[in-house]
Amino acid sequence: MHDKTFRASMRTLTVLLALLVAFAAAPAALAEEGGYPNVNVNVHDKASLQRGARLFMNYCVGCHSLKYMRYSQMAEGLGLTEQQVMDNLNFTGVKFGEPIVSAMPEADAEKWLGKAPPDLSLEVSARGADWVAAYLKSFYLDPSTASGWNNTVFPNVAMPFPLWQLQGEQVAVMSPPANGEPATIKELKLAQPGSMTPAQYDRAVRDLTAFLTYVSSPDELVRSSMGAWVVLYLVFFTLFALVLKKEYWKDVH
Amino acid sequence: MADDSINKGRRRFLTASTAVIGGAGLIITAIPFVETWLPSARAQAAGSPITVDISKIEKGQMVRYGWRKQPIFVINRTPEQLQWLPKQDPRLRDPHSNEPQQPSYCKNGHRSIKPEWMVLIGICTHLGCVPDYKKKVGPEPFDPDWKGGFYCPCHHSRYDMAARVYDGVPAPLNMVVPPYHFVDDTHIQIGVDPKGAA
Amino acid sequence: MGAFTQWFNERAPGLGAVYKKHMTEYYAPKNFNVMYYFGSLAMLVLVNQIVTGIFLAMFYTPTAAGAFDSVQYIMRDVNWGWLVRYMHTTGASMFFIVIYLHMFRGLMYGSFKKPRELVWLIGMLIFLVLMAEAFMGYVLPWGNMSFWGAKVIITLFSAVPWFGHTLVTWIMGTFVPGDPTLNRFFALHVVALPLVLLLLVVLHLGALHEVGSNNPDGVEIKKHKNPKGIPLDGIAFHPYYTLKDLVGVGVFLIICAVIIFFAPSVGGFFLEHDNSIPANDLVTPATIKPVWYFSPFYAILRMIPSKGLGVLALAASIVALFLVPWLDRGGVKSIRYRGLGYKIALAIFAIVFFLLGCIGADLTPGWIVSIFGPNADITTIENLFGRILVILYFAFFVFLWVYTFFGFERTRPVPERVTTHA
Repeated sequence: MHDKTFRASMRTLTVLLALLVAFAAAPAALAEEGGYPNVNVNVHDKASLQRGARLFMNYCVGCHSLKYMRYSQMAEGLGLTEQQVMDNLNFTGVKFGEPIVSAMPEADAEKWLGKAPPDLSLEVSARGADWVAAYLKSFYLDPSTASGWNNTVFPNVAMPFPLWQLQGEQVAVMSPPANGEPATIKELKLAQPGSMTPAQYDRAVRDLTAFLTYVSSPDELVRSSMGAWVVLYLVFFTLFALVLKKEYWKDVH
Repeated sequence: MADDSINKGRRRFLTASTAVIGGAGLIITAIPFVETWLPSARAQAAGSPITVDISKIEKGQMVRYGWRKQPIFVINRTPEQLQWLPKQDPRLRDPHSNEPQQPSYCKNGHRSIKPEWMVLIGICTHLGCVPDYKKKVGPEPFDPDWKGGFYCPCHHSRYDMAARVYDGVPAPLNMVVPPYHFVDDTHIQIGVDPKGAA
Repeated sequence: MGAFTQWFNERAPGLGAVYKKHMTEYYAPKNFNVMYYFGSLAMLVLVNQIVTGIFLAMFYTPTAAGAFDSVQYIMRDVNWGWLVRYMHTTGASMFFIVIYLHMFRGLMYGSFKKPRELVWLIGMLIFLVLMAEAFMGYVLPWGNMSFWGAKVIITLFSAVPWFGHTLVTWIMGTFVPGDPTLNRFFALHVVALPLVLLLLVVLHLGALHEVGSNNPDGVEIKKHKNPKGIPLDGIAFHPYYTLKDLVGVGVFLIICAVIIFFAPSVGGFFLEHDNSIPANDLVTPATIKPVWYFSPFYAILRMIPSKGLGVLALAASIVALFLVPWLDRGGVKSIRYRGLGYKIALAIFAIVFFLLGCIGADLTPGWIVSIFGPNADITTIENLFGRILVILYFAFFVFLWVYTFFGFERTRPVPERVTTHA
């Protein structure tokens, strides 16, 4: 009888706690999409991370830092040797153990661009991977801005499009003004192809986003594999505790 | 409540095995917490090797550098200083450097890779003070028969020109020689062994 | 072992007596159900918060210039720092989940009723201190949500008449949250409030063990004792409940481990996205909302269209919980034997609390759009919905008093002894 009560209560406990977590997580999962297409990055794909790192070091690190990430840590996460990183991914000449900082002095950046380019160490944590990917695909030519570029995800962004040679030049297709409302952007059209096909560029964006996702929380690489063992151990422990509890509760009538 | 149907052996076994499993879990959980005290990535980066230019160090001169926040002494020893070394052996605690206070490639009469270049961590092995470099040969208040070397002002420990400790002083061991190698004739990198040496 | 126990007992006989009184000879009702796990789980989380907190404090820098960097230092440079921090952040949220369920248990089975009013009051004080502790801990990483959360919550005190604004400046130590704020919050978070919390937990347990535990039937087991003076329906806390709680601990740790290792931010609920941006005193985050466990109370504040009244309602929503033992005049403790009115009222109260939480967490605009279409007037609908909920929240307490004071409640007979059924 007690046994039944106990089993029922364990079930209820599990369900209760799981429900609470689900209540917290489910709307969050919906909220996280934020209306941007799912970019589906895989931080466990080392080749993708390496390609992303190469893109970052070629096109981004000139202005943007990853000041919380050290070259040595990146080497570990990407599965590269010190030699490989220092030869292929470190263009600023700092030591292997140092953080990845931009070569551009902050004061100059403010002078040139009006605003210092932000550090991108936590960009994916702050905005989500889907946002980053969508942003990188949404630049278009706009003669009304200072840089000549604009972005549908981040309107009037200060940054000129750094990957234009890869993606090519997009232009905005406007929908005709209706009911006296101003014209809105219907879609972006590739006016001048770049060195990559749209499919190749999509992959490049996914790699770059994967790299930035990894940089945002490098612990993710160790966490999930370790977590499986921890949960396995805890299940094992709980089973023993359960058998022990039942043995003693034989006394209770 | 205790009735005869209780299987004491089974209870003891289950209690012990649950305790062992739980205890093992606790110990394994403690490991990450203990390891947080090990040098962090930042500390390790600060402890990365340093390369120093020795071309400006004159004969008999000592220059100090910092590596892992420790004083590194680099001395360009004169032939005369080198010549005194073997003669000090009877007065020393560990004249043949049997204690592992130096990398294996520096376990020799002059405790260095090249005889004239002495590289050491300038910390007294007694309680961690930084000894003075006393190169002048002649009677000193702390040693009437001083042949040059290092003298620790804290508790009067003395070392010869190869940083080997004299007998009868508080310091127990020779001073430590860090791993180092010659990048070229005028540059030493401290913190990295020579190629091929362990 | 035996020799040592004797040696020890000869020198400190009092400790053995304490152990007996609270463990091997503390008799708890044998019919505890699942809702009775959360007390011991709360203690477990408290220990976790203290241990992980001590280690975090070894690496954290309590200055406006250094705090954010030091958290990233913990997450990336310190060996296992990420694990210690995720254990702490997950623990903070789990603390509230467990405490809310523990409080709900008290309401279900009348654990606040005579003779346990003091247990309830001390428990409410623990809840209050825990909220202060959590809020200050939330400020420490000095992300943008930390900064604005601190600013908004401290500014609540400006609603205090006459010296409100002075009070706000006094708490901050500057004119916007900054170094002095962070320094004092750090001291309170890691030293003062944990000490108070521990003291209150000792008092909470002391008060409970004086009168004995309630149970799902709400009967007093001390009424029926055997010749040795042991309650017939009581079983020794140790080993029976220690072992049972150990199973609960196992299940609970599995859930915690899944969160820590697979989804530590729980989609922005346990760790918020905007807190990945360093504090910026010029840019308010797009959606400013407190961390989830404050959101029901925050919704009450937001739904009242007056600053003074809003703060008053917020305070009243917590004070009302303190008063429950005196508002409820009913003679029956457990929901099993109480009138239908109480069952319905408590269910509505729980749902209202949850929905208020959804409003406070800013989930409702999305729901409104999906129900009423994209052109819906979100603010009006949300305010209408939210204000009904606020009224229902307070209506629970009024109903409780009217229902029991005027004898409207029709209860079922309470059994003499505890029952056990699945």
